[in-house]
Amino acid sequence: MAKGTCPNVDHGPMPSEGRFHMGTASLTWYSKNLTKPFTGFARPLANVLFIAAAMFPGIPGYADNTTLRLATTTSVDNSGLLPTLIPEFERESGYQVHVIAVGTGKAIQLLRNGDVDVVIVHAREQEDKLIADGYGVDRHDVMHNDFIIVGPMNDPAGIAGLTAAVDALQRIADSQSLFVSRGDESGTHAREKQLWGLAQINPAGTWYRATGQGMGETLQIAGELDAYTLVDRGTWLAYRQKSPLTVVVQGDERLLNYYGIIAGNPAKYPDINYQGATRLIQWITSAPAQRLIGNFTIDGEPLFVPELISR
Amino acid sequence: MNTLAQTTENALILLFTGDPELWNIIAISFSVSLRAMLFATPVALVLAFLLAYGRIPGRRIVISIMHTLLAIPPVVVGLTVYLFLSRNGPLGDLRLLFTQTAMIIGQMVLCIPILLAMGHAAFQGADRRAWETALTLGAAPWRAMFTVMHEVRFGLLAAIVAAFGRIITEVGSSMMVGGNILHYTRNIPTAIALETSKGEFAQGIALGIVLLLLAMILNFALTVVQGKGVITA
Amino acid sequence: MMDQARRPLLRYHELEKRFSGDLLFEIPEFSLHGGDCIVLSGRNGTGKTTLLKILAGLIAPDKGWVECGGKRYSWPKAKDHCRRNVIYLHQQPYMFDRSVAANIDFGMRLAGVPAPARRRRTDEVLAWGGLEYLAGRNARVLSCGEKQRVALARAKVLSPKALLLDEPTASMDKEACEKAYFLIKRLQSEGIAIVIAAHEPQAIRRIANRLLQLDAGKLIDQTVLKVSDHDDAPRECFRE
Ligand SMILES: Nc1ncnc2c1ncn2[C@@H]1O[C@H](COP(=O)(O)OP(=O)(O)OP(=O)(O)O)[C@@H](O)[C@H]1O
Ligand SMILES: [Mg+2]
Repeated sequence: MAKGTCPNVDHGPMPSEGRFHMGTASLTWYSKNLTKPFTGFARPLANVLFIAAAMFPGIPGYADNTTLRLATTTSVDNSGLLPTLIPEFERESGYQVHVIAVGTGKAIQLLRNGDVDVVIVHAREQEDKLIADGYGVDRHDVMHNDFIIVGPMNDPAGIAGLTAAVDALQRIADSQSLFVSRGDESGTHAREKQLWGLAQINPAGTWYRATGQGMGETLQIAGELDAYTLVDRGTWLAYRQKSPLTVVVQGDERLLNYYGIIAGNPAKYPDINYQGATRLIQWITSAPAQRLIGNFTIDGEPLFVPELISR
Repeated sequence: MNTLAQTTENALILLFTGDPELWNIIAISFSVSLRAMLFATPVALVLAFLLAYGRIPGRRIVISIMHTLLAIPPVVVGLTVYLFLSRNGPLGDLRLLFTQTAMIIGQMVLCIPILLAMGHAAFQGADRRAWETALTLGAAPWRAMFTVMHEVRFGLLAAIVAAFGRIITEVGSSMMVGGNILHYTRNIPTAIALETSKGEFAQGIALGIVLLLLAMILNFALTVVQGKGVITA
Repeated sequence: MMDQARRPLLRYHELEKRFSGDLLFEIPEFSLHGGDCIVLSGRNGTGKTTLLKILAGLIAPDKGWVECGGKRYSWPKAKDHCRRNVIYLHQQPYMFDRSVAANIDFGMRLAGVPAPARRRRTDEVLAWGGLEYLAGRNARVLSCGEKQRVALARAKVLSPKALLLDEPTASMDKEACEKAYFLIKRLQSEGIAIVIAAHEPQAIRRIANRLLQLDAGKLIDQTVLKVSDHDDAPRECFRE
C-alpha cells in the first residue's frame, strides 16, 4: 500500500459545498420517521441500513471544481512517485486529486472521452495523435527514465550485457526463448511493438505470451515463467526484490522513456477542470516539484530523471 | 519470497495494529456496499413481492431475465455502467464516472438480480393465507406486504446476506467505474487486486481476512437468527 | 320473508365467478343480516371457499356489485367495504409467526387502537376464548382446535359485522368442535352475522337459521326445509 499520509480517513474526499451531510439529531429523526412504514423485522433492518448509509459521506459528483482527476500509468503510481508528489500538490493548491492508475492507452482514451481532466503518460506517438485530434492541450515533458529488458539468470537467449535492444529481441525470437508482453496497449507495450517493428519481427508463437495485465502482474508472470520482458526502470526498482529475474539489456537510446503531462481541451469539454489541470502542469514542471522527482529513490536508486533540471 | 505463513502473519499484524490506510479501505468498502444495499433492497424486495403476488404481465420473462443476470460477471456490469456514465455515454452529463456513486450503481445492478430471484423464491414459498389473513384483518395491501415479508423474513435475510456477499467482494465493476482512487473509490477487492499486482501479498491477505471474517459473521448471525424461527405450517 | 323488515349489512348482487372461462357460480342476490347464522353447504369443488373469499373482498368476482349502507359499489371499490365489515377465517386458520397475544393484537394495531386499550382488549378476548394459558406461546405451534379458537378471538376483537368460517370443524374432534361452536354461537348472539361453509351440514344444521346450498353454479335456499323444526329468531337456534 502507498506509504503516503492519510488526511481524511473516514470521510472520503474533502468536504465541498452541496454535499449531503447529516447531524446526529436529524439522523435520529430520519431513522425514526423515514423507516416508519417498515414493521416487524423490516424496521430494525431499515434503521441499520439507513444509519449506516447516513454515517458515510453523501453522493458527490464532479460538479465542483475542487477535485482534479488525473489518469496515469501504473508505473508512475505504483512506483510510489505519485503518492509522494500528490499530497504536496494538494497541500499547496487546495485541490483534491483523484488518481486513476491505468495503462497509457486507457488513460489517453479517458482524456479523449472527457472523463478525466489531465493525464501523465508515456507514449509519444499516441500523445501526438491526441493533441492533433484536438483532445489534448498544453503537453509538457515531465521526466524520463528508461526501459530495460529483464530475463532469467541463465539467459537462454544469450543477450546479457547487450545494449542494442533490437538485437536482443532478434536473438530472443531466434532462440524461441519465452517472452512475456504486456499486450494491453500501455506505453510499455507501445514501445515494445515499436522495437519488434524495428527488428522486423512479427512476434507470435508459443514463446510469445501476452498477459493483458499491468506491469507488476506482467513482471510476476515473467518471473514465474522464467521469461524475458520489457519493463520500465521505475517498476523494476520497485519490484526487483521480489523478482527472480535480472537486468539483461539496458542503456540503448531507443529504450529512453519520456513521460509527458497533457491537459484535456476545454474547447471540447467546457466543464472539465482545466484550471486545476493547468495548476498541476505548472506545479509539476516547477523547480520544487522537479527536485522532488529527482530526489525520489527506491533503495537509494533514483527512478526518474526530471526533465527541466536535467536539461 | 514470502511464505504463506509469513504473509498471513504480516497480514494479521497490519490488521490489528490498526494501519489507517487499511482501515480506510475497509470503511470505503462497507460504506459503498451498504449504501448500494440500502437503495437496492427496498426496491428489489417490493418488486419481488409484486412478481410473486401481483398479476404482472410478462412476469415469467422478468423472472428468467433475473435468473440470467445472476450469472453476469461483474466486469460486464462494470463495462456497461462505464459506457453509460462515460462522458460520451447517455448519462455522461451527470459526471458520475470514478465516483462512489458510480460504484454504488454498479453494485446495485449486481445485487438486484440476487435480491429479486431469492426474494421472489421466498415470497413464492410463503403461505398465501398470510396475505389473505392480513387483508381480512384490516391491513392495507402495503401493510399486508410487510406482514408477508415478516413471515418470510429468514428467506429475505438470506437473500440480503447473499446479495451483500456478492457486492462486497466484487472487483470487476468497482475497478472499472470507481477507478480505484485512493481514499475515495479504493475498496477491499480493488485494493487486493492492486496490492497483488504490486506484489504486496501481505496487504492482499489482510484484506482477504477481513472479507472472510465478514462472511463468517454474517453467516453465523443468519444461523442464530434462523434458529429462533418456528418452522411449522 | 323475515329479512324484509331489517336492512341487510351487505347485499351482493349479480355475483359471477369464472375460472379460465368456465362458470363456477352465478348468484343473483345474496344478503347478510346482523345475527344471521347461515350454513353454506355444497359438494367439494362447488365454490364455497371462492364464494366466501369474494364476500370477504379477498378475491374479485368477474361480475357483481355490492350494496352497503344504502349505497351501491362495484368492484374494485366494493372490496374495501367488504373487507371493512367482514372477516374471513381459513379452513385452517393462518397464524402469524409471533405469540398468540401478538396475533390478536395484529388487527387492532393496524386500526390504530392505542396500546393500553389494545392490551386490555387482548386480555378480555383471551379470557372470552378460554385462551389465557396460550397467550405467550408462538401461535404456529398450536393444535388445530386452538388455532381455530385463536382465530375466532383475533376476529372478534375487531368487532366485525360478519364472520365467514370456511369448514371450521373439518379437522377437529368432537370436543374441539363443541368449544368452537360455543364461541361461534356467542358471536352470533352479539349480533355478528355468521356464514359457515360445510360440505357435510348435518352437524351444524342445528345452529343455523338459514341453509343455503351451492350446487351446479346456483345458490339454492333450503331454509324452508328447516322452518318446520325451528324458529326464525336468531337466539333460538342455539338454545337446545
Ligand atoms: N385460483 C384458482 N384458479 C383456478 N381455479 C380455481 C382457483 N381457485 C379455485 N379454483 C377452482 O374452483 C373450484 C372451486 O374451488 P373452491 O375451493 O371454492 O371449492 P370448495 O367448494 O371450497 O371445495 P371444498 O369443499 O373442497 O373446500 C375448484 O374446481 C377449484 O379447482
Ligand atoms: Mg373450500
